[in-house]
Amino acid sequence: MSDNTAQNAAASTLPGVRPPVWIALIGIAGLALLAADGRLAFSPLQLVIALLTMFVGTIVAAFSCRHMRTDRRRASYFARIALLIGSVLLFVLTDDLLAFGAAWIASGLLLASLIGHSDALPEAREAAMRARRTFLIGDLALLAALAIVGGHGGTTDVNAALSRSGSLSPLASHLAALLLVIAAAARCALPPFSAWLLSSMTAPTPVSALMHAGLVNAGGFLLLRLAPVLEAAPAARYAAVGLGLFAALWGLGVMAVRPDVKRALAGSTVSQMGFMIMSCGLGAYAAALWHIVAHGLFKAWLFLGAGSLIGMRQRERAPISRSAVLMAALLALCAGACMAFKAEVGGALVALTLAVAAAAATLIAGYGAPASRRARAWLVGLVTALIAANAAGLLLIGSLYQAHAEPLLPSPLLIAIAALFLIAWLFQAARMARGAALPPALYVRLLNAGSLPAHRTGDLA
Amino acid sequence: MNMIAPIERTGERLGRTEVAGLVALAARTVAPLWPLESAIAVNPLARFEELPFAQAVAEASKLFGARRTLPLALWRRLYENDRIDEAALRDAAIAHLGGIYHAAAPIAPGVTMLDALMACLLAIEPGDQPERKDGLGPDAAFIAKWCGAFFDHGMTTMPLPYRDLGLYRAVLAMAAYDPDYRTLTGARGAALLLSVPRDPLEAISEGLASLEVPVDELAYLSGLVARLPGWAGHIRWRTDHADPDRVADVPATMADLAALWILLARADAVSALPPAPSAGKDRRAALLAHFGLTAKALDARNAERLDAVARVDDDALGALFMTAAERSYANGLMPALQRAARTSNPPLRPDAQLVLCIDVRSEPFRRALEAEGNYETFGYAGFFGLPIALHPFAGAHRARLLPVLLSPRHDISERPVPGRESEAEAIADGARRDACTSDLFAAAKVGPATAFAAAEATGPLAAALMLARTFAPLAASRAAATLRKRRQLALAPAPEGYANHTGVSLADKVGYASALFRLTGMRPDTARLVVLTGHGASAVNNPYAAALDCGACSGHAGGSNARLLAAMLNDADVRSGMAEEGLKLPPTTYFLAAEHNTTTDEVTIFDADSIPDTHAADLAALSASLARAAGANRARRARSLDRAPGDLLTGAVHWGEVRPEWGLAGNAAFIVGPRDLTRAIDLQGRAFLHSYDWRADRDGSALATILTAPMVVAQWINCQYLFSTIDNERYGSGDKVTHNVIGGIGVVQGNGGDLKIGLPRQSLFRDNGLPHHVPQRLLAIVHAPFDRVAALVETSDILRRLFGKGWVQLIVIDPETARARRWREDGADCGEGRNLLCVDC
Repeated sequence: MSDNTAQNAAASTLPGVRPPVWIALIGIAGLALLAADGRLAFSPLQLVIALLTMFVGTIVAAFSCRHMRTDRRRASYFARIALLIGSVLLFVLTDDLLAFGAAWIASGLLLASLIGHSDALPEAREAAMRARRTFLIGDLALLAALAIVGGHGGTTDVNAALSRSGSLSPLASHLAALLLVIAAAARCALPPFSAWLLSSMTAPTPVSALMHAGLVNAGGFLLLRLAPVLEAAPAARYAAVGLGLFAALWGLGVMAVRPDVKRALAGSTVSQMGFMIMSCGLGAYAAALWHIVAHGLFKAWLFLGAGSLIGMRQRERAPISRSAVLMAALLALCAGACMAFKAEVGGALVALTLAVAAAAATLIAGYGAPASRRARAWLVGLVTALIAANAAGLLLIGSLYQAHAEPLLPSPLLIAIAALFLIAWLFQAARMARGAALPPALYVRLLNAGSLPAHRTGDLA
Repeated sequence: MNMIAPIERTGERLGRTEVAGLVALAARTVAPLWPLESAIAVNPLARFEELPFAQAVAEASKLFGARRTLPLALWRRLYENDRIDEAALRDAAIAHLGGIYHAAAPIAPGVTMLDALMACLLAIEPGDQPERKDGLGPDAAFIAKWCGAFFDHGMTTMPLPYRDLGLYRAVLAMAAYDPDYRTLTGARGAALLLSVPRDPLEAISEGLASLEVPVDELAYLSGLVARLPGWAGHIRWRTDHADPDRVADVPATMADLAALWILLARADAVSALPPAPSAGKDRRAALLAHFGLTAKALDARNAERLDAVARVDDDALGALFMTAAERSYANGLMPALQRAARTSNPPLRPDAQLVLCIDVRSEPFRRALEAEGNYETFGYAGFFGLPIALHPFAGAHRARLLPVLLSPRHDISERPVPGRESEAEAIADGARRDACTSDLFAAAKVGPATAFAAAEATGPLAAALMLARTFAPLAASRAAATLRKRRQLALAPAPEGYANHTGVSLADKVGYASALFRLTGMRPDTARLVVLTGHGASAVNNPYAAALDCGACSGHAGGSNARLLAAMLNDADVRSGMAEEGLKLPPTTYFLAAEHNTTTDEVTIFDADSIPDTHAADLAALSASLARAAGANRARRARSLDRAPGDLLTGAVHWGEVRPEWGLAGNAAFIVGPRDLTRAIDLQGRAFLHSYDWRADRDGSALATILTAPMVVAQWINCQYLFSTIDNERYGSGDKVTHNVIGGIGVVQGNGGDLKIGLPRQSLFRDNGLPHHVPQRLLAIVHAPFDRVAALVETSDILRRLFGKGWVQLIVIDPETARARRWREDGADCGEGRNLLCVDC
């Protein structure tokens, strides 16, 4: 072929930065930040989130070397990805309020511009604009909260400002905490801020992976990092719990009705972030941090692998039967009641109760799977290993990161929250068993969640 | 019953049967769209094939809002990259101006009309390529959204309510709750929801009457169907091509879709179709400036000539470039073919013979293998003539392993190889286990109590899997590769029928076995080893993986067909049956089946352990040659992919890879003739090669089959690549990195919209934005007597249409004289009143 191969070769060397180089670059950036900060003693929270960011960032960068090889604007793509990872690392690791705010805002703007990366998609610009507008609200809330805390403390050092935040007036402390919850909700895409995430499928796949694993959970990080402010304002904690609870169930609904894999995953992220913010509000900090880490890995994996879901399937039966659901739910309630007597469980009671339900249900379903004994043994073994990994992860994070708040709610109420999830679960299982659909009004709302608004014909012109 | 009467005047109504007829005709506006799990190349303009090519492109452009040709700037870059000859472009320009006499007419001293046209082609700033700002209109977005929800196959846990009522009625029921519908249609829409007939055909009939659609109702309905070619094409697949058991639970017809559009139209909510991007520009001033002329200096006649050239728009210029690209290609190829046709090679007794698919990717591999030793290769349709559907062992659905032009004659099953039953059972058990695991995972992911723990518990495992798949993809894919090998050893397709189907009878077996010889001209004095080689590709995490598999096997790998036919050909009864038909094969000949992996160039030999000891040495020698050929071909392909040869092996299993191979990009010719004709020519992977010996085909029936079946498939492929390239957003599926898999069926772009048709950008364009696939029409070259071809074409509607309307260009090489003639397109100048004109190349 008489192609101008020299030109092609030159073009193809542009993304020629190979994966190992990326790992090195990201590692060096992290280390440089450590060094620039003048000390290596970060809080476990900062270290864990920074490691997660670097890990996912490395995977995404290496994946992109192949996936985005053919992109017309790959240089700008890779530059923005690198800056994005850098800005996240900066706000995670810095102890300076000003740098924190600046890096936080920068990460939002970079993310929005990557959502709009595809210039061939007319709606990409609109989706980017939507993200920018939502982030603007969150960023303003964050800046206001930081101003209150920093202004009161008379310092830009995060830790110093936090230690002095106890003396904020009740009004100021409530205002600051509520503003933080708003900032976190905007970044975590909790309703009413979830539309930006649910319409962000215009982003290239690896950007979505990074977004769902490393960016949206910044809201959780924010609440954990500035936990003392939140703890001083129970009203804000109630808000976080309420909002999180609603988002957790709403997002699952979106996931259940979306036929496209990416928005179904986005619905799941809204739900998971809601659950995590709820845990923050309840004071279960270690559980929230473990959730951020494990969910980030889980979601990055699902997004990067989203191309493999071609294939028309028909599900003949629900893999987890109604009776398994009922049994697991009752078991979980009993376990929850027992755990309630252990004071150290605290706000993690909801998460632990649900974990028991999940473990029981999957074990029962695995045991009763329609396959040979060997296959079922394998399945039960896999589920057991995963449960063990989950427990180990939670314990590890719990031992690293011992911060927690006084329980916001008494145990019976925590059990009631868990029961709410269990009831929703029973409702879902009963519907699926009967092959019944959702009520139409609810279905439409869930299906439309996050759609860019329809225009009356001709409005576009 | 209805409280609110329709507001519109009700005119004369069409009956249900008439409407059904209209809808059936309108449905043909779009090509059927196969689910990506078994992707099939189709011509998106199939409905327009009755029209001359240029006219079809123009009509379709209006209907689909699509471009008519590549942007001029891209054509110029192709030209600058030597993909188009200057002489060919000049010839095309001269022909456009009406011949050399007109072309040489002066506009000004030293400036001819040809100079002016060439300046338009190559020098003058092209018109601004208007950017597409229009997404999907809100009306189309509304219907696309509900199509997506309705046609879901296994992605959702909570399906659309009322799905069993059919698409139209389900959406009627849901629209009342949909704020988008309210925004779109207002009060009128709400009233219509109550009053419109529930039967889609009645609704269309009432709608057509109340809308006072002008006489041409068909054109109106066709226009509506064409608004969402993806979902409409999916419906066509469901109604015309799908196995009923797979689509029965989600009933939908084109009438449903049309009725939805009519509903919106009655609420005045259908937006005008945005015009196709086309750069119109008056080049008069630019031409004057280019040649340093002033308008005043031209007299009336010259000014008119200038205007005539200046009026040639970008679309026409693009068409000239395409003609030039076609001529450049033919001019390069024909002399070499004619030279080869003049020399006759003595038949040789090869060490082994290989039969490969006609696919363009077989050609370079065949060349590489022939260079390794005394091997003879043949091209034959990759389904090896077996019209079968295979039910996989312990699998749910049958796979149709035949071209979509045919319907399966035999439902056969994959069975354990005798003696390996327990291994087969273990494999089936493993498959069930994996299915249970993924079902359980899916359920846990979405359960309100389990979702959070499921995410946390899977997180660490996901981290490990991501590391492996990103940094050690070959190791990560080893388990899958091992499983594939185990499957091949333990399971084989068997000619016995599946369930109560009857199997392949002896007479049929003899027929399929003989067809190989009859169609390819393969002589009965076969080599000791004959290897039937199907092909497949490897790609992971890639929605378009099936598009790289064998098109003749409906987007599946062709190994099963090869195994079946090889087993038939080794069958003593079949051999004696063939002998009775005059095909007496040497008893020393053994047939083997293999599969060529077009991504890695590795060739898997099936059932190698059952080969007789006498042939073991032959196989060992061949295997070594195959490995060397694979290396050589991989190196060649790596160059055209701008990658290292080793990286092709990595890319085949890497989950981030967007272009594991070039697929059939570059396809340009379909050559029917013996291998002697092409053996010495490097066809660069651009030609489908069907073996054919005109002497062995006295009645021309083999040629008729070749031209009306494999060539038609090649034409579909060619048209799919051509149109996907010229407008990758309308006729293609756009950028892979923003693809979003929907319903397990196909992909949408970004947040939603129409189901994408055609091929993604990465399959057609190089990284620097230049098309790797030069859009040009298929050139069929047939090595057979003129009269035989002429008689054949004249009696075949489809061939007369394809050649006469310019969808495929035909050149015939006469075997006796090696002279070549080109088929005359309808309406082209013809001095001699013959359809086969002397070739001017």
